[in-house]
Amino acid sequence: MSIERLDLLRALAARREDEIVITTMTATLQWPLVSSHPLDFDFLAFGMGHASDFGLGLALARPERRVIVLKGDGGLLMSLGSLVTLGRYGPPNLLVLLLENRSYELTGGQELSPNVDFTALALGAGVPNVERIDDLPVFETRLPALLTEPGPHFVVLRVTNSEPLPPVRHTDHSSRVENLRRALGVVEERA
Amino acid sequence: MNGVSAAATVAVLKDLGISHVVSIPDGESRHLYSALVDDEQIQVIMPTREGEGIAIAAGLWVGGLRPLVLLQNTGLMEAGDALRGCGIGPSIPLLLLVGWRGYPGAMAGSLPIDSAYPYTIPLLDAWGVPHRALLTDDDLGLIGEMATMAVATSRPAAVVYGYGFTP
Repeated sequence: MSIERLDLLRALAARREDEIVITTMTATLQWPLVSSHPLDFDFLAFGMGHASDFGLGLALARPERRVIVLKGDGGLLMSLGSLVTLGRYGPPNLLVLLLENRSYELTGGQELSPNVDFTALALGAGVPNVERIDDLPVFETRLPALLTEPGPHFVVLRVTNSEPLPPVRHTDHSSRVENLRRALGVVEERA
Repeated sequence: MNGVSAAATVAVLKDLGISHVVSIPDGESRHLYSALVDDEQIQVIMPTREGEGIAIAAGLWVGGLRPLVLLQNTGLMEAGDALRGCGIGPSIPLLLLVGWRGYPGAMAGSLPIDSAYPYTIPLLDAWGVPHRALLTDDDLGLIGEMATMAVATSRPAAVVYGYGFTP
């Protein structure tokens, strides 16, 4: 069983209010199809595997606001140690949604190791709230709690994609940061 | 006397309003790390690798806080993509305190020279990261100077410590 990724993103966008949503890799291509929000942050090309690390820092800095990170399983493998850091320092306002498609989809669909258990890895790293969801109705049912109950939460979501992917657009990184800081009301501290 | 007082360094960081130190400590910074952990004002985060730490620091800064990344030069080499993607590329003024492994031996003329030593400064130069050397307590003002430069130039800036920290 799996979830069509665009359906999952639609379900999240429908429930999302004032949470920060950080996307990376293929999620950056499809999230704009369902959301246009000042607190959307495209992390593509900011650093391979580090979207949830960035999200952890942001969540620590903004405890009043929930931070949602949409990242892929290939990206997690590039920074597996981040699970340990999430388990040690992850704040209650952080929700990591791991989109498990078992491939490096953006680079041509090269397969990941079939032997990895991402739920077990997160549990072993000490992440306190770990669950696996492979079904859209279950995700829709769980989402209100994931957006309100203290975390950090780490959810492994088995996804597939049958939709054509929009092309990668490399927008200016500085303006992405400026836009998010402006939306958060952070006073600018740079030239 | 070579080396820098950890207590005096913590006082400087507090004066600068540093909120978090993200660090995988090295042997030369262990006393500074201990002093930071004992301090109640500055929060310490220890990631598992330096690239992870740079991304965490970038998130802290984007959220409105003022982090410092404390890492060894070898860790800086590991963290190249994170520094590019979470610092240089998006113009995030991260302040880096970098251990210069190999510097004392090189200054003493010891052989063999640690291979981390000769690449440290050229690497920072290649990235366009401005840097100054922190060798004694007299140099502690450089930390504030580089923090100001990072903000003024909208890019990371580094203070490279050559002899480590004393208790």
